[in-house]
Formats: sequence, structure tokens, C-alpha cells
Amino acid sequence: MQEIDQFKERMDGKISHLIDKKQRFYFNVGSENLCEVAEYLFKNLGCRLSTATAMEMMHGIEILYHFSLDRAGQYFCPRVVITDKEHPKVPSITSIIGGAVWIEREMFDLWGIEFDGHPRMEELLTIHHPRGLKQPMRFGRTE
Amino acid sequence: MSVNKIPVGPFHPLLEEAEYFELKVDGETVVDIDLEIGWMHRGHEFISESKTFTQSIFLVERICGICSTSHPLALVHAIEDIDNIEIPLRARYIRTLIGELERIHSHLLWIGLAGHFIGYDTLWMWAWKYREPILQMFEMITGNRNHYGMMRVGGVARDVDPVIIPKLLEDLDIVDKKMVMIAGAAKDDPVLRSRLKNVGILTHQAAVDLCAVGPTARASGIAIDVRKDDPTDAYDLVDFNMIVKKNGDVYDKLVVRVLETLESTKIVRQCLEKLKVVQGAILNDVKEVSAGEGIGRYEAPRGEVFHYIRSDGTNRPIRHKVRAPSYVNIPTYVASCKGIPVADALITLAAVDPCYCCTERTIQLIDANRNPVAVDLLKLSREKTERVRREIHD
Repeated sequence: MQEIDQFKERMDGKISHLIDKKQRFYFNVGSENLCEVAEYLFKNLGCRLSTATAMEMMHGIEILYHFSLDRAGQYFCPRVVITDKEHPKVPSITSIIGGAVWIEREMFDLWGIEFDGHPRMEELLTIHHPRGLKQPMRFGRTE
Repeated sequence: MSVNKIPVGPFHPLLEEAEYFELKVDGETVVDIDLEIGWMHRGHEFISESKTFTQSIFLVERICGICSTSHPLALVHAIEDIDNIEIPLRARYIRTLIGELERIHSHLLWIGLAGHFIGYDTLWMWAWKYREPILQMFEMITGNRNHYGMMRVGGVARDVDPVIIPKLLEDLDIVDKKMVMIAGAAKDDPVLRSRLKNVGILTHQAAVDLCAVGPTARASGIAIDVRKDDPTDAYDLVDFNMIVKKNGDVYDKLVVRVLETLESTKIVRQCLEKLKVVQGAILNDVKEVSAGEGIGRYEAPRGEVFHYIRSDGTNRPIRHKVRAPSYVNIPTYVASCKGIPVADALITLAAVDPCYCCTERTIQLIDANRNPVAVDLLKLSREKTERVRREIHD
């Protein structure tokens, strides 16, 4: 059984809208299931967290995590949609993956997404900006 | 315990890209390190959303001055991933040729700097001397020594003139022989081994947890390489080995890079031989990019470069994510610097191969009374090598 089939079987009911596109798997995850999915990908399947992409859409703020399963050349991309654009908040996965610390801090910095349980929730890139940028990647907040 | 802080940066001659490190030391031992980035944040991702896909290729080429073709290559892979665009065979070999030449010059640059940092100036001068023919090969192929402007969606911008291939092979032979010499010297030298072995160890578990990539990960026993794991361009058509070591120290990182350089010369030679016989187009005409999302990656000299593109069907991306290898490798300093002497901190920081320039470097040691004292990390590192050399030879 291939890794994606194992993953689908194990995460049945916790993921939806799976798109299988040439070794790239995009799927939706509720924020309440994010840590479980991340833990399974990182610890059970042996994926590496490559990065995460945040983006503001009309329906909310999306976070697309990119987990690389290097031995198979595949990418698993859980997508979390936060509908509360004023106070975006999701659980932090830093307790599972140490490499997520900067990735989450960057999203907090540029999009204002708060990661519950992050050990150091402060700006990463604009912390020393002379004009004090605030969430510059959000709509209408760029100078 | 009296802990002093040594600030390095943010604008420091050691670092080409401005970063800030604060080494916390107890006597001569590093007990912790704090990192701050953001001093060079230029907003490429934001700017890219206002550029056409072709313009973005030139934009991302300027993210890094050393491995300037890795970002364009990852970006065109991401755009091609949206529509499953195929590229001509000749263009695949040219892309691989450019990528591997870049790996050779980047690794030679690092080997030279590493030699300089520990007081091996001969190694520094050798490495940079034999890097020069590689830059000249770039000039012959692309017209530029850096920032080649070669990548396009659907292929490459410029063909390799068959007339210059014999000369390129001749130059490559010279570099190859000298690299074998440098590899032998680096592996057999007892001082170098004593100076770098078991210094700044990044354990396998720490490398996995921090999601390290490239030579930093491979020196810690993690067998990952995009060229093998998810081959694009001509990497599935050429023969080469992935270099993996286990100890995770600076010595293993040096060995990985030296041996990878030899593997890269193998790949370059195969590509040049193929370009003698493989004919045809170098660019497929791509009229438009569909709505959708694509992931592109490439094994840069420092590790996996990652690009993500979301398109709405226009000629501009609505989201362009870029993740350079240093972004995930730099946090490994924290794991590899703890418990080492200050004299080893410089080479341990440099072993990850962040972008840095080679000029004189001075730091200020702030003691408990906040009285700054001038300390030279480079001097400490070179003095330690001299001590090791005397111990071995006396």
C-alpha cells in the first residue's frame, strides 16, 4: 500500500477535498485536526516540513503546509482555512516539529496569524523595521 | 556561572546577508545562541505578485548572488507544474549543466572561505583559483559570470554553441584534476582533520527535527537530495552519486561538499557530451498559464529551494512563496553551537554555508559590566589551528 493510501485510510474523516496531482497531494484540514495530521506526516510517514504558505483570500486566510516525503519525491499539503480574518488563530505545530518555529513566526509577522502554543510568538522579519510594519501582506495594510 | 554575550552582526563582515547572532558564553564555551533575521527582508514574494511570470524569473534570480540560478529554476518548475508543461530534451541538459556548474563554483567558494577561517590560506587560494575557470565557462555559455538569465518557462533562453564544447571540456578536466588534488589534501591532512573533526556536531535527530536540507542534512546522515528524490530536467538521465556522511561535524560537511563537487563535474561532463549529439529546440512556446497551483523545487548548493505558485489564469501569480535553504539550515546553529569553544564558533557558523563575504571581522565581547572588549573570531579560529598544527608536528 502506498503512503498516500495509508494516509487517507488513517485520516479518514479528518481530511477533505483531496487533490492528487502528479505526486503533489493538496487537501483541507480543520484546525482542530491540524496537529494530529502534522504529527502523522512528520513522525509516522517521515515527512520533512519544507515550509508553509499563508495567503489572504476572500473567504478567509489560508495556510498551506508543505510536507515533503523525500524518499518518494512527494509533497503532502494540508490546507487550513481560517474564516475569522480579524483574529486569525490556529494551533502551533512547533511542539511536534522544531523546524516550524521560524515558519510560524513569519506568518504571525506578515499576516497576523496567531499560533496557539508557540514558544516565542513575535515578529521574525519586520521586528526591526524602522517604520514598524504591521502585517504587510494583508489586504489594504501595505504602505 | 557568569554568562557573557557576544553579538555578531547584524551588519558584520562575516555575513554577506545581514543577520544577528548573539553567542552566550561561559568562559570559552558557547552555552546558547540567539538568532535574529529580517535585516535584509526585501519583500520578493509581495513584489512578485505585481510581476508577470517571466519578469518574476529575473526578480528571483536576484534573491541570492551566489546560487543565482537555483531560484529561477525552482520557479519555472513551479509554473510548469501547474500545467504539466514538458520541456525539450536539449533544454533539460542545458538546465542541468548550468545548475551543476553553479554547484561547483558555490562549493569551491565555501571551501576557500572555510580554509581561510581556520588559517589554511593555501586551501583558500587554491579553491578560488580553480573557481575562476568555472566562472569563465559561465561567461562562455551564458555571457555572464553570474546572474545568467537562462531559465524560461518551457525551456532555456540561450543555446550552448557546439563550437565551445571542446574548450569547456578541456577547462573542466583542469578543474577536475585540481579538485581531486584538493580532495586528497583535505582528507589526508592531519591538522585539518584534528581541527574540524567532532567540531560543531549536528546530530541526525536534530537535523531531522529542524528539517535541515542539503549538505547540512547529508553530513548528518539524512539521505535527501532533490536531484535523486524528485528528479527534474536531466537528473534522471545522468549518472551521479548522492554523498552522505554520518557524523554531522564540520569535517563531514567539508567532505560532503568536496565530493559533491567531483560528482558535479561528472554530471557537467555527461551533459556536455550529450549536447554534442542531442539536437532540437530549447524552448517550448508557452502562451498562458492556467488557474491552479504548482510546486517547484531544485537542489541548490545549500539544499532544497522551494517555490509555490498560485495562479488565477492571468499572467501574474496571486501568491508566490519562496523558501531558500538557508532559512531552514540557519536554525541548526543553535543545536550545533551549544557546548563548543568560542574559537570553533566561526567555522561552525560558516559550515552551514550562509551567504557571507570574506573581509576582516571583529566582534565586541560585552562583559558583565557592559564594557565592550574587542575580540576577533577569525583570529581565535586561526590561532587554534596553529596550536593544533604545533601539537601534531612537535
